[in-house]
Amino acid sequence: MGSKAAERKAMYGSGKKYWQKLGADVKRDRWLYLLLLPGLVYFIIFKYLPMFGIVIAFENYVPFSGVLHSQWVGLKWFKYFFNFPSWITYLTNTLILSLMNIVFYFPAPIILALLLNEMQSLRYKKILQTLLYVPHFISIVIVVSITFVMFGTSGIVYKLTEQLLGHPINYMGSPDTFRWMIIGQTIWKETGWGTIIFLAALTNVDTQLYEAAMVDGAGRLRRLWHITLPAIRSTIVLMLILRMGSVLDTGYDHLILMANALNRKVSQTLDVFVYQQGIQSGQFSYASAIGLMKSVVSVTLVVLSNKIAHAMGEQGLY
Amino acid sequence: MKKLVALFLALAMVLSMASFAVAEEEPFEISILLPEFPADYDFVNDFDSNPVLQKIAELSGVKLNIQWGPNSTYTDILNTTLADKNPPMLIAATDARAPLIVNSARAGAFWDITEAVQDAENYPNLAAGNAGVYANTAVDGNVYGVYRSRAYPRGGIYYRSDIAKEVGFDREVETIADLTELAEKLASYSDDTYALNMCSYTAGTISVITVAFGAPNTWGVDENGDIYPAHKSAAYKEGLDWLRHLREIGGIDPNFAQISTSDWDNIERTGKAFMRFDCLDNAHRQQEWFEQNADVTEQIFQTVGTVAKEDGSITVWPQNAGFNGEILISKSSVSEADLPKVLKFLDWCNTAEGVTLINAGLEGLTYDVDEDGLRYIPEEKTEEYSKNSQLYHNNVNQMGMGVAGNIENPKARVNRGYSELRQRYEDLNVLLAPYAVANPCYPFVSETYTAFGAQLDQIISDAAVQYIAGLIDEDGLQAAWEDWAMQGGDQITAEYNEAYHAAQ
Repeated sequence: MGSKAAERKAMYGSGKKYWQKLGADVKRDRWLYLLLLPGLVYFIIFKYLPMFGIVIAFENYVPFSGVLHSQWVGLKWFKYFFNFPSWITYLTNTLILSLMNIVFYFPAPIILALLLNEMQSLRYKKILQTLLYVPHFISIVIVVSITFVMFGTSGIVYKLTEQLLGHPINYMGSPDTFRWMIIGQTIWKETGWGTIIFLAALTNVDTQLYEAAMVDGAGRLRRLWHITLPAIRSTIVLMLILRMGSVLDTGYDHLILMANALNRKVSQTLDVFVYQQGIQSGQFSYASAIGLMKSVVSVTLVVLSNKIAHAMGEQGLY
Repeated sequence: MKKLVALFLALAMVLSMASFAVAEEEPFEISILLPEFPADYDFVNDFDSNPVLQKIAELSGVKLNIQWGPNSTYTDILNTTLADKNPPMLIAATDARAPLIVNSARAGAFWDITEAVQDAENYPNLAAGNAGVYANTAVDGNVYGVYRSRAYPRGGIYYRSDIAKEVGFDREVETIADLTELAEKLASYSDDTYALNMCSYTAGTISVITVAFGAPNTWGVDENGDIYPAHKSAAYKEGLDWLRHLREIGGIDPNFAQISTSDWDNIERTGKAFMRFDCLDNAHRQQEWFEQNADVTEQIFQTVGTVAKEDGSITVWPQNAGFNGEILISKSSVSEADLPKVLKFLDWCNTAEGVTLINAGLEGLTYDVDEDGLRYIPEEKTEEYSKNSQLYHNNVNQMGMGVAGNIENPKARVNRGYSELRQRYEDLNVLLAPYAVANPCYPFVSETYTAFGAQLDQIISDAAVQYIAGLIDEDGLQAAWEDWAMQGGDQITAEYNEAYHAAQ
């Protein structure tokens, strides 16, 4: 931070002079600033102003009394949560699901993008790409319904495993299979869509590098390892840092749709808890407090992972 | 040209004066927020083209201004409505005990009408309501709303009597032993079918059987006058064992926990199961379905309120506390001077003409009256009346309170097998009401329950489901109960005890 302030001082000087310079800049590039305006207004109105609502995490918020006149209770809701013995379960369920997501889902679009990139027929590649994007546009409700039809107790996969193994696997109603089902559904639904950013990064690779490597006798794998991967490394790191920011986010709709009395002990995550408290029980303050806590952890993780990226010589997020 | 303009101005003045004169005679206007259920036609909210709203104005002197909140997001709507400076004067709450409503009532969002609902002189119809039910809606002893009454106790057992006869059970079900015999015989009907219809919603099923065995309804009072949770009673365990045994002999689909609630009715309709523990009125609805879709003319369902224990005593699980939600009066929008007018209107809603208009609509628009003076829909007009009903009336019944009971005039005409079951349903409710086991903690608010109740309830119900499905044994059940106690169950018990003793 200190160095940045010094940089700014060197560029603009300080105090009055700074503002004068800025004014002149704005005047000169007024059309560019005009272009910036809608985005700025959007962020102020929809992202920054609503942040004042965070106050309700420290209040006993009653809609009738409003944000300003509800009773101030300080850290009551945070204490409440940590006094609730199973908060650990909620946290571990969240973390396990998230880690499985990073380990199994995160590399999937990268691998797929690399495979697509190696394709010779451009026409076939385009058709395949379009088909791969389709699952992203299918509602998770439909995805879960399809899963029920296939993996439920009268589904084809269920019957097939029963035939093959001699005993059935209760895919939809067992804590052991629950997380794998969730990860599987995520991979099926989002992998294709996730390739977009990596494919975009891949188009920036200088084709002369490949030609030079070919002349030097590098095979496909060598070229992949020494040219393609390094070229998209910064994109991968960027995506990973962003992913770290949502380590505590598991979403609730997907999990609630898949949860039942038999697998509940692994399907209860922080997001599900927030949904139950906030929407189902109308405990807005309590839900906000837990949401706020999640956000604080997320920001910390983003900052930390960005630091690590810098230390490893990557450009990182900022 | 000038003359023309002058003429126009004069005309406009005359017209505006005329409309002013009409406005002066206009009835008192009351705004109300109601949940809206989806329909094929949108409700006509324009007073001038809605005969039902006009009739309400004619009879009660109140011009209703209805604001609809889609039922699926009604909680959100309530939240924003209560945060509003000028909410509708009347607000329908679908859950009187939701923390949102309780907290808002405590913060002074609604008029306290405790005295008004006992005032038989000014509001005779409101005062005709059940004092016990009013008490159930109260927050800290104060009544804030007029409850929307529901049939009570309503919970019970029904089964396919034709299948029962086929498997050799042809008598009334009176005792637990009878029920066990019936269930076992129904289980033996075929390998592909089950005796008891269960789905992922298990609270009703478990409550019907455990309360029949003598367990309390959610919370009980022991011999020392202390509150204890239902699952600590021996009868609760007996009820679970009964279900577990039935599942073991193939009387319940072992995968019931994964069956969606929306398939519940279909399981009976496709003949996959023959008995259900649920709302009794579902029996005549199912009978009606079979009459309309499967050419059934005989009565093929039979209802049983509850079954007697070995000592002959009877206990019934009430599906509700006598009501489902309430109509609240906003303090921000209704001045003290206008409060009596609003209460008068609510009182009118509970008169015979009010109840009929709100529940059934208008003669010649949504129903006809036959020579016996009964309400019916002629077959050739089914479509027209159904459309009319959706356009002008259907969702208005969400403000139906009916605290003075079913005093509709004219009454509805009903069909054959359907009508017998319906009559029996009404008789059973009257007969069993004194045996209904009330939840002694219903009127109280436990802070811990509000914070963690949803999760804690789930521990108990999940354990019950797993026990019935055979996934855990008695030790597992015990462990779940201890988990419940540790995670806040003991705390809730203590809070309820405090509130209960303070109220005694």
